[in-house]
Amino acid sequence: MKRLSDQTLYEIIEVSVETSPEEIARACDRAAATYGAGSLVTYTLASSEESALLSSRIEEARAVLLDPSARSRYDERIGVRPHATPLPASPGTPVQALPPPPETRPEPGASSPAWPPAEVDVAVAEPLHISPGLPVFVPVAPPATEPAAPSATVPAAQVVSSPPPATLAPEGSRVHGGTSPAESSPWLEPASPGGDEVQPPAAPSQAAAPPAPDQPSAVAAPLPLALARPEPQPAPPIAPVAPIALTRAVAPILLDREVPPPRPLLVPEGAAWSGEMLRRVRESRGLTLQQVAERTRITRHHLENIELDRFKALPAAVYLRGIIMSLARELRLDGQKVARSYLDRMGPASDGEAKR
Amino acid sequence: MADGPILKLVQPTDAVVETPPVIRGFPRVKLSATRARRILSVGGGKGGIGKSLISANLGIALARRGQRVVLIDADLGGANLHTTLGLDVPRRTLSDFIDRKVERLEDVVSPTGVPNLGLVSGALDNLEAAMPKHAQKMRLLRHIQAMDVDYAILDLGAGTHTNVLDFFLVSDHGVLVLVPEPTAVENAYRFVKAAFWRRVRNVAQVFGYETLLHDIMEGASFRSPVDLVATVVERDPEAGANLANQLAAFRPRLVVNQVRTPQDAEMGHAVVAAWRKYFGLEMEYLGGIEHDDAMWRAVRVRRPLLLDRPDVPAGLAFERIADRLIAADQPGRIADQA
Repeated sequence: MKRLSDQTLYEIIEVSVETSPEEIARACDRAAATYGAGSLVTYTLASSEESALLSSRIEEARAVLLDPSARSRYDERIGVRPHATPLPASPGTPVQALPPPPETRPEPGASSPAWPPAEVDVAVAEPLHISPGLPVFVPVAPPATEPAAPSATVPAAQVVSSPPPATLAPEGSRVHGGTSPAESSPWLEPASPGGDEVQPPAAPSQAAAPPAPDQPSAVAAPLPLALARPEPQPAPPIAPVAPIALTRAVAPILLDREVPPPRPLLVPEGAAWSGEMLRRVRESRGLTLQQVAERTRITRHHLENIELDRFKALPAAVYLRGIIMSLARELRLDGQKVARSYLDRMGPASDGEAKR
Repeated sequence: MADGPILKLVQPTDAVVETPPVIRGFPRVKLSATRARRILSVGGGKGGIGKSLISANLGIALARRGQRVVLIDADLGGANLHTTLGLDVPRRTLSDFIDRKVERLEDVVSPTGVPNLGLVSGALDNLEAAMPKHAQKMRLLRHIQAMDVDYAILDLGAGTHTNVLDFFLVSDHGVLVLVPEPTAVENAYRFVKAAFWRRVRNVAQVFGYETLLHDIMEGASFRSPVDLVATVVERDPEAGANLANQLAAFRPRLVVNQVRTPQDAEMGHAVVAAWRKYFGLEMEYLGGIEHDDAMWRAVRVRRPLLLDRPDVPAGLAFERIADRLIAADQPGRIADQA
């Protein structure tokens, strides 16, 4: 008995831990075809959220298990021998029988996923903390430079309307001991409510539009630079928006690590969710890409492409929707709205499914 | 006692296999060799997917292997198993037993023309029998369990009514039938989920976990048994361990009917894997049955396929499944199959 999020990547694609890369590639294809969008065997069994989680885990299996070094790190993490040195298994007995018989239910404590030891990711994560001078505020003006006009005119209330915490309450069904990392993370709940961090709204006129989403090079540019830009001409009238404070205290579990201090971040109502915005929210939460990758089980590769708006490199919209939803949830945003907004920006590249 | 829940419980491994635990509400059976060794029920939620034909042909296949088999038409209100066997409406039916016109279930068993195979024909023209009272259902189940046969095969009706689920849950082999169509797959999942949650309820009732489960499930809905068990473990480790043990025994046997392509047959494995992925539970794939024109021709002439055309692919598929069931029931494996 294992949750989908607790099953190993090997269990997800139903191969033994010794499987060759060629066979793993085939198993990933097979799993993607079997459980992918519209699959007859899953569409009435699982919620769309669960299907999206499974799809992203299959993609994760592809990314991790086909990369020798990533695979050996992963093997070490889940406690199996490196696949290069097969175990002297007794004849006919797979090294790790898949699936495990139902009787061998793990101890309750063991069912909560063990995070990799801190040293695994801190080293990787540190260099990611760029843009130390990132300003505290995201501009309040709606991004008038959006390429897709319709998305800029999305009614404000539709994109960011409710205070994020309301949508982020941990699902009641979750156990704090065995919380799925890909879903709610109760331990991420703030140690202290960040109510005092609500900042007065900045004067909207002095803030510039966020970088256009098709300019990944502008990602790390501190905002003051953007002041040099001309005020976007066709900007819709800037309503006196009520910015929503998104900042919460950093999770206690992170306190012993070198993480950037959380910074208050205000997200304007009606803003389209670009990769850049998601990056800012993530950084305001003091999370590295690596940490988000581990918690959401979305590969870092995908996360980077999302934040850089590399639409071409991203998976199909039906998968991407689930991926963005779990990313947004990890950032304590409204997954539905963020995913809709993000996919809308992809324009015709995304199919109707995403805009539903 | 008659109001107790109906289910098979996991027995401690050191217990004698034939000794059912003495539990409030559990149908008491005579501890003798005269007990139906295996109860096999055929369900699947949707109508028209071949439950009756599979029951009839599996019955014939098992009887031909020397097993004493009785087919019981448990499709209360929609009985037609006799027709699939080419029989007219038997003189005595389940109605007579339910109405207590006869005392013993054996008294309503009709011969089928196949050696070793008997039929308890379903209730006809009796609205009361279509919705038996709980006590009547318990009596029927007690008698089924006590029948002097090797296999009692229950042909269940469509839907997820508690009557259907209870027959499924009391079986040693709960056979889940689906055909490779979205509607059938959807209903099969609904059926097997409903059966699972009824088992949770019944286990809770037997072991007195009702309050515990009620508290836990009040403010939350559990999609997955894993979450439920984890929560119970937190409150009461012992109850959680027992619950996990009892629930892990829920292990339906899957049959994919009307297989037209190799992909259709593969679907059985995919359903088993998906069930494990999302529900954390096991299922066993018994195999696929080929879609076969000989099948509907046999239905038209009211002759079971295995008597009419035993050589066609679908006929061979029934033989394979029967072999698998018998192999699974070999002494020594019985404990695993509870």
